[in-house]
Amino acid sequence: MRQTLALIPVLLALVAGPAFAHARLIRTAPRVGSTVRETPSELKLLFSEAIDPANSTVRLSGARGAVPAGPLTLDPADRRVVHLPIPRALSAGVYRVNWRVTSVDSHRTEGDFRFRVAP
Amino acid sequence: MRNAMRFVLPGVIAAALAIAPVAQAHAIVGNRFFPATIATDDPGVADELSLPVLSSFRTGDVPPLRELDVDGEWTKRLTRDLGVSFGEGWTRLKGPDGQTANGFQNLETTLKYQALTSPAHEAILAAGVSYEWGGSGADRGGAERHSTVIPTLYFGKGAGDLPDSLDWARPFALTGVIGYAIPSRSHEGVERVPDVLSWGVAVEYSLPYLAAHVRDLGLPEFVNQLTPVIEASFERPTNRAQGRRATGTVNPGVIWSGQHFQVGAEATLPINRASGRGAGFVVQIHFFLDDLFPRSLGKPIW
Repeated sequence: MRQTLALIPVLLALVAGPAFAHARLIRTAPRVGSTVRETPSELKLLFSEAIDPANSTVRLSGARGAVPAGPLTLDPADRRVVHLPIPRALSAGVYRVNWRVTSVDSHRTEGDFRFRVAP
Repeated sequence: MRNAMRFVLPGVIAAALAIAPVAQAHAIVGNRFFPATIATDDPGVADELSLPVLSSFRTGDVPPLRELDVDGEWTKRLTRDLGVSFGEGWTRLKGPDGQTANGFQNLETTLKYQALTSPAHEAILAAGVSYEWGGSGADRGGAERHSTVIPTLYFGKGAGDLPDSLDWARPFALTGVIGYAIPSRSHEGVERVPDVLSWGVAVEYSLPYLAAHVRDLGLPEFVNQLTPVIEASFERPTNRAQGRRATGTVNPGVIWSGQHFQVGAEATLPINRASGRGAGFVVQIHFFLDDLFPRSLGKPIW
């Protein structure tokens, strides 16, 4: 009985490789909480899992409300990376990024972060 | 118990495979991920497996015994917010003369309902009832012969809604639990069996939260997956006891959270001599079954 129980974690660890999970935000550009001097050409978000773009959104907003941006695209070389182009220059201030993504196995996660533009 | 599991488990797995609702988050509320804590149960309802949970400490007996526990708990969601858990443990007691005794503890089942989930406030409130099946474990391992019912409340609150001026504090979270154990008998032979009030809290500082939602300090990914935690759990008889002194431990430690499992380790520091002698430790490996098996065993049945 004890030997059987001891094998369960090993078996689970072995099957963990091909499984998918909740998409966790790992890195962003601009960095979470950072200050940038110039308007970035795009937002870049790296998640821990491949993303389903059809069921995912990333929105940018500032003190005056929503900032036109997009469309959201996946990086063809790495489906964990999403890009959101920013077509216009941003005025000085704090901007909030709200993301809501669905990983390829249908797990949904959401979150937000801010960065500052200070030319 | 094992025979019952042999018949019940295949049915549960078959039902989970046959029915496929949309996968939902486990103990994730808005920006907040509440990791599974060790000494106190976290407030979320999820498909998960804690195995093994290893702990070693010296008991408060005179003279003290060295106790080693190997525990496990499997939780299955019946619906998105309702789950049932099965917990079992094995204990070895070693006396100062080297004599040992060991055996399985009583099976414990818990039905838990996540009643409130507020993503904006990173808050969870849950209620549950546990039942310890008296006599299902071994006397020689210290298992009780009487059964016990334990109604329990669970809560969790993240500090993400603090104002911008307190950004540094937003990764903090507090979870807690309070329960009341009611035994099925007031006496076990000549020994009185009291009702017991138990409570505990966990204070966490989530580095994953710091990196993803507050400020990315450029730390290595491994560090960004750590959550330092201090847990404290206590219990106190409320009747039929010679003394009504509280016992418990304070457990500083850290939890590493990956995509499919987490590993936690804590020191266990007794609050008084009745709670134990010297520092002990506890280590937990905890699997996220909804991430490991998102299309089958990790989904709610209904």
